[in-house]
Amino acid sequence: MSAHATTAPEELIHRIGHELADALPHHRLGGGIDRQAIDRIAADPQLKAALFRFVDVAPAARSQREAAAHLEALLAEADRLPGPFAAVDGLARRPITAPLVGRGATWAVRRMARQFILAEDAAGATRSLAKLWDEGAATALDLLGEASVSDAEADTYAARCLDALEQLDRAYRGLPGRPRLDADGTGPLPRAHLSVKLSALTPQRHPFAPERVSEDAKRRLRPIARRARELGAHLHLDSESLDSREAVLSTALELLAEPEFADGPSAGVVLQAYLRDADEVLDRLLVTAGRRKPPLLVRLVKGAYWDHEVIDARQHGWTPAVHPDQAATDRAYEALTRRLLDARPAVRVAIASHNLRSVAHAIAHDRHGGGDGRDLELQVLLGLGEDLRTALARRGLRVRVYCPVGDLVAGMAYLVRRLLENTASDSFLDRQAHGASVDDLVRAP
Amino acid sequence: MSGGETFANQPVLDLRLATERARLTAALAALDARLPLRVPVLIDGQVRHGDELRSLDPGDQTRTVATSARAGRDEVDRAVAVAEVAGRAWAERPMAERAAVLRRAAELLVEERAGLAALAVRECAKPWAQADADVCEAIDFLRYYGERSAALGGPLPQPPGEQNSLRYRARGVCAVIAPWNFPLAIPCGMTAAALVTGNPVVLKPAEQSPACAARLVELLHRAGVPAGALALLPGEGEAGAALVDHPRVATIAFTGSAGVGLEILRRAAEIVPGQRQLKRVVAEMGGKNCVVVAADADLDDVVPAILDSAFAFAGQKCSAASRVLVEADVAERLERRLAGALSTLVVGPAERFATDVPAVIERAAQERIERFQQLVRDDGGELVLGPGPEPDVAIADGCWVRPALALGLPPGAALLHEEVFGPLVSVERVADLDAALARVDALPFALTAGVFSRNPRTVRRIVDALPAGNVYVNRGITGAMVARQPFGGNRLSGTGTKAGGPDYLLSFVDPQAVTENTVRHGLVV
Ligand SMILES: Cc1cc2nc3c(=O)[nH]c(=O)nc-3n(C[C@H](O)[C@H](O)[C@H](O)COP(=O)(O)OP(=O)(O)OC[C@H]3O[C@@H](n4cnc5c(N)ncnc54)[C@H](O)[C@@H]3O)c2cc1C
Repeated sequence: MSAHATTAPEELIHRIGHELADALPHHRLGGGIDRQAIDRIAADPQLKAALFRFVDVAPAARSQREAAAHLEALLAEADRLPGPFAAVDGLARRPITAPLVGRGATWAVRRMARQFILAEDAAGATRSLAKLWDEGAATALDLLGEASVSDAEADTYAARCLDALEQLDRAYRGLPGRPRLDADGTGPLPRAHLSVKLSALTPQRHPFAPERVSEDAKRRLRPIARRARELGAHLHLDSESLDSREAVLSTALELLAEPEFADGPSAGVVLQAYLRDADEVLDRLLVTAGRRKPPLLVRLVKGAYWDHEVIDARQHGWTPAVHPDQAATDRAYEALTRRLLDARPAVRVAIASHNLRSVAHAIAHDRHGGGDGRDLELQVLLGLGEDLRTALARRGLRVRVYCPVGDLVAGMAYLVRRLLENTASDSFLDRQAHGASVDDLVRAP
Repeated sequence: MSGGETFANQPVLDLRLATERARLTAALAALDARLPLRVPVLIDGQVRHGDELRSLDPGDQTRTVATSARAGRDEVDRAVAVAEVAGRAWAERPMAERAAVLRRAAELLVEERAGLAALAVRECAKPWAQADADVCEAIDFLRYYGERSAALGGPLPQPPGEQNSLRYRARGVCAVIAPWNFPLAIPCGMTAAALVTGNPVVLKPAEQSPACAARLVELLHRAGVPAGALALLPGEGEAGAALVDHPRVATIAFTGSAGVGLEILRRAAEIVPGQRQLKRVVAEMGGKNCVVVAADADLDDVVPAILDSAFAFAGQKCSAASRVLVEADVAERLERRLAGALSTLVVGPAERFATDVPAVIERAAQERIERFQQLVRDDGGELVLGPGPEPDVAIADGCWVRPALALGLPPGAALLHEEVFGPLVSVERVADLDAALARVDALPFALTAGVFSRNPRTVRRIVDALPAGNVYVNRGITGAMVARQPFGGNRLSGTGTKAGGPDYLLSFVDPQAVTENTVRHGLVV
């Protein structure tokens, strides 16, 4: 595909948006979770806060009674309780019914979590991976874990990563070929695809000394990268908050520049479009991208730490480093999408969004430049983008589902982030769930 | 204008940006080229140089940061006498004018912030982020007290024919006796509070950080504080004692150890010949700060918060965490995770941006802290030692102490009751939260405290039971910010005044109620 400067016409983006909407299962918009419950929660900030705090603590509760006590205390903070919650509150106060409420509430949290978390461990995920493959979706495995605060914890995480590579290799080995998932224009694509997090790979937290952090992270990443290369697996480094942005970038770029890794493994990084300086980050990525054999896979996301960055900046008296409104992020996302797609084949591009407009725009830009979707990957999160995933697969596009794996206590931070995203009032999922028309949903930001 | 409404904290530098780090590093290089600095005794604009005292770089004792004169008793007398006279004119200036002088000083500090931070890095081994925060806090005090001064006093009932007013007037000479651990912010805060309310100041900085104080005084003078209204008396305990005993000193603003603070309170209570006024003491003293960890706390948050509260700046903050009391159910996990995290700390020179734990202030401190480490073993506890300095550090030249955890100490152990002022924190297992609270309550200190729990009811119960002046919930227990966290301890930790709080200035003034009869021949005039 050739670099091209023109943007796809709106008309094309709309057409693709409609194609995708038509391909949604039962023409249903909205994720897989109980929308009514989410709506009730989203409408009441105090209740939302109480329930989020419960979700956060529930898996750590030592007994059902303790879980009930938490629920009751948290609900007491939300002073106007809507009907059903008021009833729960009463029951949670009584010694006889409290354990029942505790069990019920803990169960509800677990049920919710299961929609976002594939399995407790990589071995347990095998069957689900095969099922997704069967349905036309590749995966990216993410090992949930507590933040590593010691070398021992980071070592454990690294060992889990090595183990996951073996499990993934085994899980995918016997599965039938799927041309769309198995190769793109530059060559074969690894089936085994592992996402790792810097905050788990190293206990070092030095936002002001990123080199210190990346030295330690690279030390643990090397054996993982070696094994990934041997197994032909893909290794991806997730992005987290701004505190570790520089360390994440230098870890990935420096490691991949080491002669040992010149020809492999396939690897990638994440670009967060909500950062106002995302263009400069992309400049840096592009400088090095073409130097290795397997092209760098860049996953374009909007960014999952918007609230954190804004709060952190406000508390320090700084101007937030993120865009101030959703539309600005969405526009930046599209501009970066175009830059990335135009930079192929030096990079591989993964568009990771549940926003129909953002996704349709990427597909349109690819098509406008003469592509047939082969050199474009779409990524969704397990539990949030299920319908979109189905639609993309039906349209013959390559879609990869990001699948967290791990125990519930460790997964809480992830789960709370996903719930926040689902209940944010101007998010795409929210607008979608409230019956916005397809035309509205694919309108230019 | 009422304070706190327009006030905004001076933002710290965003050191995630390489450009900001480069700016600071350049400022340090520029400072190093000028060392050693010379700190004089400064009275009424007259300097007397001398090199009786030397302040050394804690991380490299072969480097002299400043040589300074040592103020003698006659100089204390002269400084107080000059201040008393100059103070009258200063007190007569309108409050708004004095506030404007402080605002100008704040601007000068902002301009010089990189150089000032560099000075704190060198003279006190304050790691950059903390040194920068120290400069910002100094700036905050200048602006905040300036604003608060306008809000002093309120309306009184005014029946017909009677006009009532409550005024606050300067008390007279204020002796400021400052510590080295916040070498800019604390002397600046105490000085600014006294000055803005119309009192002349005689500043006696810590002998470990005279250069920081000297620069501060220079900038205050340049901003318009009259030469006679602010004197600098570098020296040791002797100069401080002479000030405390001086009959013409009206107010003593002190921040430092409990030992010295209690001695000041005692001596200040004694009326000496020539004294016409009760001395008022504003004292911020030590702590034995406890963090209570409930079983439902998120240890992912607890571990980094304790690490930072106990070991940042080598634990040399009066707010630093020194005792962790944890419910038995999660104690083993917390201890294991803390011990693991301890070994990830970076011990090294303050000027390195990766440094968590710098050298401690001086040899005497190093020896004291090492004695406490030994005491842990003697008392039957387990001492978990963290890393030593980075491999390329010349260990013998600096006052290095390895950060450490003390586990399994019996309740009577010395470490659980005495302030260490160093990178040493104990962890105690308690059967339940009531047991934890009983232990906290048994302490005479009550400066800062922390609570970790995810149950709002538990949090409230613990907060209500804690005597500390500053309580932090689900976060670290250091880093109080002007206006946002008015700072100061209760019990033997302080006189109950809140630095950076709305009422602080009241300690530096005398109230005067004026009632005027406005009835003349039955007519209200
Ligand atoms: C496969 C996959 C992998 C991911 N990996 C990462 C990762 O490594 N690191 C990471 O940070 N995130 C990651 N994310 C999450 C991603 O950043 C988004 O949080 C999430 O996908 C929601 O964005 P959206 O485009 O789907 O939804 P939309 O509703 O279109 O967009 C929501 C996003 O817009 C932004 N936003 C929300 N409110 C505002 C506002 N007021 N002003 C400006 N911007 C705002 C935020 O980024 C928010 O997440 C990943 C997502 C996917 C699908």
